[in-house]
Parts: sequence; structure tokens; C-alpha cells
Amino acid sequence: MGTVLETRGVSKRFGGLLAVNEVDLQVEEGEIFAMIGPNGAGKTTMFNMIAGLYKPTSGQILFRGKSIYPIREFWRNYTPLLAGYYAVADRVRRGLGFGPMPLALRPHAVTTLGIARTFQNIRLFSFMSVLENVMVGEHCRMHAQVYDSLLRTPRAVSEERRVQERARDLLKFVGLERYSEEYARNLPYGHQRRLEIARALASGPRLLMLDEPAAGFNPQEKVELIQLIQQIRSQGVTIFLIEHDMKVVMEISQRIVVLDYGEKIAEGPPEQVRNDPRVVEAYLGKPA
Amino acid sequence: MTARSQKPAPSSSPSVAARIRGTWSAGTRAFARGSRVPYIVLLLLLVAFPFIDGNQSHIGIAQDAGRWILLALGLNIVVGYAGLLDLGYAAFFAIGAYSYAMLASGQFNVHVPFWFLLLASAFIAALFGVILGAPTLRLRGDYLAIVTLGFGEIVPRVFRNSSKFTGGVNGIVGVDQPFIPKVFGFPGYHFLFNPVPYYYVILAVLVISILLIINLRNSRLGRAWMAIREDEVAAASTGINTVTTKLLAFALGASFSGFAGTYYSAYLFVVTPEAFSFQAVSIVVLIMIVLGGMGNITGVIVGALIIYALQSYVLVQLPGWLNSLQSSINLPFLQGVDLGSYAQDSKYLIFGIILVGIMLLRPQGLIPSAQRKVELELGTQDEAVADLRGSA
Repeated sequence: MGTVLETRGVSKRFGGLLAVNEVDLQVEEGEIFAMIGPNGAGKTTMFNMIAGLYKPTSGQILFRGKSIYPIREFWRNYTPLLAGYYAVADRVRRGLGFGPMPLALRPHAVTTLGIARTFQNIRLFSFMSVLENVMVGEHCRMHAQVYDSLLRTPRAVSEERRVQERARDLLKFVGLERYSEEYARNLPYGHQRRLEIARALASGPRLLMLDEPAAGFNPQEKVELIQLIQQIRSQGVTIFLIEHDMKVVMEISQRIVVLDYGEKIAEGPPEQVRNDPRVVEAYLGKPA
Repeated sequence: MTARSQKPAPSSSPSVAARIRGTWSAGTRAFARGSRVPYIVLLLLLVAFPFIDGNQSHIGIAQDAGRWILLALGLNIVVGYAGLLDLGYAAFFAIGAYSYAMLASGQFNVHVPFWFLLLASAFIAALFGVILGAPTLRLRGDYLAIVTLGFGEIVPRVFRNSSKFTGGVNGIVGVDQPFIPKVFGFPGYHFLFNPVPYYYVILAVLVISILLIINLRNSRLGRAWMAIREDEVAAASTGINTVTTKLLAFALGASFSGFAGTYYSAYLFVVTPEAFSFQAVSIVVLIMIVLGGMGNITGVIVGALIIYALQSYVLVQLPGWLNSLQSSINLPFLQGVDLGSYAQDSKYLIFGIILVGIMLLRPQGLIPSAQRKVELELGTQDEAVADLRGSA
């Protein structure tokens, strides 16, 4: 047991808007941790920073004690040629007074570290089959190089077979095995959400971040989703979710953090958060 | 296509419909899997073509069409698979052509063998693909198209203006012609101006290229390209290094036009910068793949053949056809109207109308890669009917 994810004073500013302000979080290994808050509270911004899509304006994000924005990692991930190009461009920019070259964010590196996510508005690869969607999820755990791909070497073939098998297992796990050859976009909404979870699991994460997984679900689907999340957790994956549905949140999470206007206003187990006057105020407004 | 799993058959008492469906799908599967035979027959026909048709100019046309197919297949990797709109593809073709012309001619009195440069120029073009790709990685869609367009315009201009190295406007004349050296008692063979050996070279390059591209399509890299095409943010969040993956698309796409370029300059015996303009190459190749069906190898080949035939046969012959038609039907109100010269003048208008017509009729391309989708939709409809019967 230990802390899987920690944020220290993380802030994000979009122009004049302070979307996230000095937020400290700690997600413990093996728990189901929920983040709630009114619309526009900065929850998804927080997710995007952890996933590497946005770079925090200030603060630190640590995954298992290590920063997810290490500069050295950045250089290693670039091809040597591109690193050279960036080095030259950086020098030119500094010379002309434009400041240093902005480092491109590397969400894939975060995923490779062991953080996988789903999106609030489902983002599947619509015109790829369900099976291929999950296989893409395994991309960062595969080793086939360009020449393997070009020449279809035995290594690539056996890896391909293994990955396909694992993708089928995952589809079975989320209950979509009979749709494996269907285009992702032809699936009903609820199945698409499940497929997104399967794709995220395919990268073998330690931390699974779910952005409003129950949005648009009927009560029956919500029950099934809760079961699925608990199954995932029982396999040793820590869950960090954003959710608007209080019933779902209160039922499954061990700890809840509440954001409002980019600030953390409460944190604790469900009962405590439910009765916190600041949380009630954030959701219902100040008593007159 | 990839090994496709079969749907689990209904376990209890298959109905007649289900049984027919089973036989049907088994048949289509067998066709899909065992359908190498038609391809082998086609290949044998292509190999035998110069023996069947003794007319050298026909073989010259066939090898030229083959070069266009090769270009279209290369661009298909960038545009069709990775979804990066590249309007400067002619640049890589030019780089391939000039790297052969400069390294195998009297220009610098260097004579590197054709066979070596055929491979090497693919690497040179790939390198330039990376050089173009690197600064454009942050761009998407329209912006990427503009930058590649610029690159496509710059490269031929550089070749034209650096006349010290490239012969300027006149280009490089007297490029080495390939020959097969004397080895193991083989007498050796010079290609000279005979199109037949060139035809076999391009056929071999095409067959190998198609096999490589099929492998790519069904590999880790091919899936990553498609994921980026579908949704770049999701692809990155799913663990795909979008930078290297996009660079590889540029590099591999460019390498095929490197082959084509070397081949082209060896065949023509001369390279000039005018041969690589936007309207002569980049846009034509793009039309080929859009019209044929982006992302589908068969579609791309068909598209390339149709556009090639349109451009170099139909539009060329059209004035003559119209003139003879006019004189044979001899309508009074057409007397004194020179239809042929009208057709000659409005060649590109006619070309455009044909393109618009085809795209209106088949916006997805002639042979789209979504054929599988149609098949699947038919499959599920089938199932729904069977379910209804079962419940009734």
C-alpha cells in the first residue's frame, strides 16, 4: 500500500481564468477515489493535467513518487534526430528572444507509466473494429519495430497473436466479446463506454481514471457499471473517477474530494463529504 | 485481410436460415482467405503481358501506369492510413529522381549502379520525409496541407535554381540506364530504350511494395496510424507516440516515391524540374487515392489506373473522337463548329467534370475500405431477422 498518485499545489491558468488553483490530492493504492464538483469546477482540467494533455501552470504531479514531467524522459522519447531539431530550434528561439522551445506534452508516456483514462465525451476510434480499438490500447506494451511491421517477422506475428488474445479476454471481461468485429461507432452508447474502459485497461494500468463513466446511463446500467468498476479494482487497479451521479459516487468510493471554482473545498469519506456545509453550499447555493 | 474470428454459432437447434447463413459465411470466409488464386492468375497474366502483346508502346504505357500506382500507394500511407493531408508528395518523387540522376550520370561523373540506388533513394526520400515531417508535427489538417504544399513547391524550385548541381531548367540529360552485370556466366544485359525490362522492374517493385504495405496495414504501426487518423488525442492518451508514428508515416510514404523517382529518371534518361510540379504530380496522385478509395490498396490501384487512363488516353484522344463523330453523323447545325478544338481547349474542364461526377456518385471512393462495414451491417441485419423468427 502507498500513494499511487499525488498532486502538490497544482494550478492551471487559461489566460485570465484560473481553472485549477493549488490542488493537493493523494490517491492511495487500491482505493476508489472520486472527484466531484459543480460544472466548471476544474475536474476534467485536473484529469487532463494528470494524463499529460495539459501542462500544469505550477505544481507537481507525482505517480508512485516520481514526477510525470521529467525532462530526461522527454529527450529519451524523442528520436535522436528530432531531439537535435528541438535543440537547434530552442537555441534559435532563445537567441531571438522568444523564450525556450515549449516542450510538447507526451500523454503516451504517461500511459506507458501506468495511468490510463477514459473521456467524458466518448473518444473511440469509430471506424476501427471493437477488437482493434482494444488492441490499440496495448500499443505501448508491444515491441514490434518498423521492420517487424514491414516484414511480418515471426516475432511480430507471435506478438500480434498474443495481443489479440489478450484483447479478446478484455472484451469478455467487459462483456463485449460478441461485438468484437463490429465498428466501434455502431455499438450502443452503453457498450461504447465499456469499450473505452476495455481500451484503457489494455495498457495494463495501475491507475484507471474514469471521466463521468455513468453519464447517460439508466439505473440498470449504473448497477452494472458499479459491478464492473469493483471487479476492476479487485484486480489491483486503483480507480480515480469523476462523477456527477451522487448515488454512484456515494456507493462505490472510499474517499471523495470536492472541487469548486478550481479549489479543493472538502475531502474525506462519503458520509463526511455529504454533510459538509461547504459542499452543500457549492451544490445548492448559500442559504438566503 | 486479417484473420477474422467467426461469430459463435447458435448452439441450440439451428434453423434453416441459420444453417444457410452458416454455409454462406463459410463460403465468403473461404473466398476471403483462399482468394490468393485470382491474384496469382492476375500476376501471371501481368508477367506474360509483354509476350502476349508485342507492341512496345503498350508496354511503355503499362510501365508508366505502374509508376503512378507506386506513387499512389506511397501517398496512401500518409493520407489514407495516417490521415495526414500531404499536398507536397511530388517533392519526394523529385528527390528520388534527382538523387539517381545526380549519382548516376555524367553530371558529376559518378556512376552508382541503378539497383543500389533504387534502394538507397528510398532511404534518401525517407530522410527528407522526416525532415519535412519534424516541423509539421504540431500542425493538423488544413495547416499541414499548406506547409506540405509549400515544401512541394520549394523542392523543384531548388532543383531548378541550383543549376551548378542539377543542370537548372534543362535538368540532367544522359542519366545512366540500368543494366544487369555479367555474373555467373550470365551474358549481361543493357536496358537501353526497350520498355520491356523496365516493365518487369516496376512490376517486381510493385509486387514487393504491395506485400510490404499489406503487412504494414495489419501491424502494430498500421493500427497506430489508423488510430491517429480517427482521433489523435485519444490515440496519444491510449499510449501511442504520435510524434514518431506520424514521422514514420511521412518517411515510409516518401520512401515509395523514392523508388518511383529513381525508376522514372532511369527510364526517361533525363530529369527536368518541370516534371515535379504540383499539378503534374502531387494533386494527380491525391486525386487517384481519393477517387479510388482512401486506405484501400485495391481501390488506390484502380483509382490510379482510371486517372492515368483518363489523363493520358481519354483526354488525349477525345478531340479526335469528337471530330470523327462529327463527320460521321454530319448534323447541319454542327457544320463549321470545330468540336475537336473545343475539347482540346477545355480538356481540364472535362477532366474536372468527370471527377466531380465520380465523387458525387461515390463520395467514399470507387472501392472504399469500408467494404467490410457493409458486410458487417448485412451480417447483423441477417441476425436480427433470425432473432425475430426465433421469437415468433
